[in-house]
Amino acid sequence: MPDAPTPRLVYDAFLITAYHDFYKPAVAPRVIGLGLGAALLAELVFSGQLAVRSHAGRDLVIAESRGGPPRDSLGLWLTELVQSEPEHLAVPEWLEYLAIADTQTKTADHMVVAGLMVRGEQRSRWLGKVQVTYDAADALIAQAPLARLRRYLSSMDRRMPLLDAFLLALTESVGLSKSLYSQMPAGAREYAEGHLRVLPAPLQAIRGHLTAAVADTAITGNL
Amino acid sequence: MSAPSPASAVQSALARDKLGTLSLLHFSLTAATPLTVIAGGVVVMFAVAGQIGIPIGYVIIAASLLLFSVGYTAMARHIANAGAMYAFVARGLGRVPGVAAAWVAATSYCALQVSLYGYLGYVAQSLFASIGLDLPWWAFALVAWLLVGLLGTRAVDINAKVLAVLLTVEVAVVLVFSASNFANAADGVSFGAFSPTALSGEAAGAVLALAVIGFIGFESPTVYGEEARDRKRTVARATIATVLILAFIYIVSSWSIITAAGDDNVVAAATADFDLMFSLAGDQLGSTWETIGRILLLTSVTAAALSFHNTTARYLFALGREQVVFSWLGRTSVRTCAPVAASVTQTVAGGLVIVLWAVLGLDPVVHLFYYLGTASGIGLIALILTCAIAVLVYFARDRREESLWASRIAPVLAILAMGGVLYLSVIHFHTLLGVEKGSLLPKLVPIVFAVLALLGALWALFLKRARPDVYAGIGHGAKAPLVQAAERAAVPVGAAGDR
Repeated sequence: MPDAPTPRLVYDAFLITAYHDFYKPAVAPRVIGLGLGAALLAELVFSGQLAVRSHAGRDLVIAESRGGPPRDSLGLWLTELVQSEPEHLAVPEWLEYLAIADTQTKTADHMVVAGLMVRGEQRSRWLGKVQVTYDAADALIAQAPLARLRRYLSSMDRRMPLLDAFLLALTESVGLSKSLYSQMPAGAREYAEGHLRVLPAPLQAIRGHLTAAVADTAITGNL
Repeated sequence: MSAPSPASAVQSALARDKLGTLSLLHFSLTAATPLTVIAGGVVVMFAVAGQIGIPIGYVIIAASLLLFSVGYTAMARHIANAGAMYAFVARGLGRVPGVAAAWVAATSYCALQVSLYGYLGYVAQSLFASIGLDLPWWAFALVAWLLVGLLGTRAVDINAKVLAVLLTVEVAVVLVFSASNFANAADGVSFGAFSPTALSGEAAGAVLALAVIGFIGFESPTVYGEEARDRKRTVARATIATVLILAFIYIVSSWSIITAAGDDNVVAAATADFDLMFSLAGDQLGSTWETIGRILLLTSVTAAALSFHNTTARYLFALGREQVVFSWLGRTSVRTCAPVAASVTQTVAGGLVIVLWAVLGLDPVVHLFYYLGTASGIGLIALILTCAIAVLVYFARDRREESLWASRIAPVLAILAMGGVLYLSVIHFHTLLGVEKGSLLPKLVPIVFAVLALLGALWALFLKRARPDVYAGIGHGAKAPLVQAAERAAVPVGAAGDR
């Protein structure tokens, strides 16, 4: 059963970026890694286990003690990594690392434990290799995060919670603006922009570096 | 970035994922298509120049670009968005000249890419006519245009693999043809082509301008600066190696053609037969090799069109992300993360030109390949010169621990060299176009680029007044949103204090 309270930002980010359905494609593999890394960092900043501080022109990720140790293995893994680094590393370096550290599989495995995903194995007919697949345990739950964001944008009748506002920023940054704003009423973008503009500085920094990393990926073609 | 600490698991993992010199060399060399340059450029240079000094022209350009590369790669170590030359201009000379350079650069790359469809149509038409399929040039050009347009919206990684295979085969064939030319020398191996007097008069500018185009792509390793294993050395090594390798191929192959045809006969032979390279191979090695060469030329021109398509799309994408031009150009493909809006824009531009040239009945080689290609060459030489000036000014403010050679001497020599090349190219541009001295067309091209630069500068001044946040992000490419956000918060980047 889940070892962390749900729903979590990183789970929602996984379902938005990596889950493919009729209404929304999955993004490129490297962008999934960057998006999940940003979500995990933001989640730990929000819960007080990490902080982002500017120093000499760099946005450094620093371990914080005010939130206590994370209660789940995913958060604990990253927090311990941050603590074990001899020097503080900047947000772009952590995003880069999390993109190559197979955060997608780690998150998917975690979601299997949480009962949100089902792990499967497929044997390749030609190569004989076993490929691990992850499918949503419930398609409606898999669509829920994006549907929730779209509900905010279509009704525009109340303020979004902070983490949902960050999830919206993340959805835009990974290139899913079309899925987000398609058939939304006039004023939806202004409503969203109003929320994004007042994101706390650490989340703004993570959002900005995620956007830049995705653009770098497009320029270099490093997928 | 600080050196990886052995105790840092994250830094060690990141270091393992970095690109070495060979990886960067792979990216830059796949942007070059030597067979197109030699078959489509070198033979024409003999005909246009009426001289045999093509190899010495390549030596001069290679030396100039090597000098330029020293300062260029040194500055790339200190700036973000180092893949685009306009970013160097923006950081060295200011944002207003930066936008002016961006407009000239985007137009030049776009024109160069589109010009290749003319040559491609001609090559395909000749090849397929020999097997009985007689279609107009634009039909073949449109097929290639569709292919390039589709591949351009895929992940660049796929394109790089396609380009790598084509490049390997191309280089092998060029070397086989060159070896055969030397083995079948008309009058023995002659060194006359390397005499300084072999390149003089009004032809010099034409040869130098055409020679520069063959090296375009040498600047691409700086795109991967942040992913390089050693940012101080890897990018510089890859850039310089690219220039040296291309120079070797171009010098050897052009020299071999002179050797096979003879010093006294090569100009007449090239004027009479634009397919001289393949005719020589056919005579020496048999018709099978000639056919292989012609087929590879078609794939080579297609690869060149694809390579320049990607370069142009990256430029437009970076400008879109900076919101310097339409911000929708900064959109990526969801599935592949390719710069899809910029890529489609370039495809539309190419399609319009092909259709327009076909409707007007213009010649694909003379009016599309030569006119647009050489005009873009003038724009690119001006861009390299402006970038060299930007490097000098950038280091004049602060040497940033770079050597005197990299920060002062090499940039000054590069400015002198590229300034001379630009001067000769502009005043001899009529030779390049094959029109009378004093006619309108050669004057029109520099004027068009000057107007573009002026419009770009005016647009930058407008942004400065109306959208200071966008203005602040100019030259930062992918990182422009970070700079723009800091500007909107009226706080310099990284000076926001504790968060």
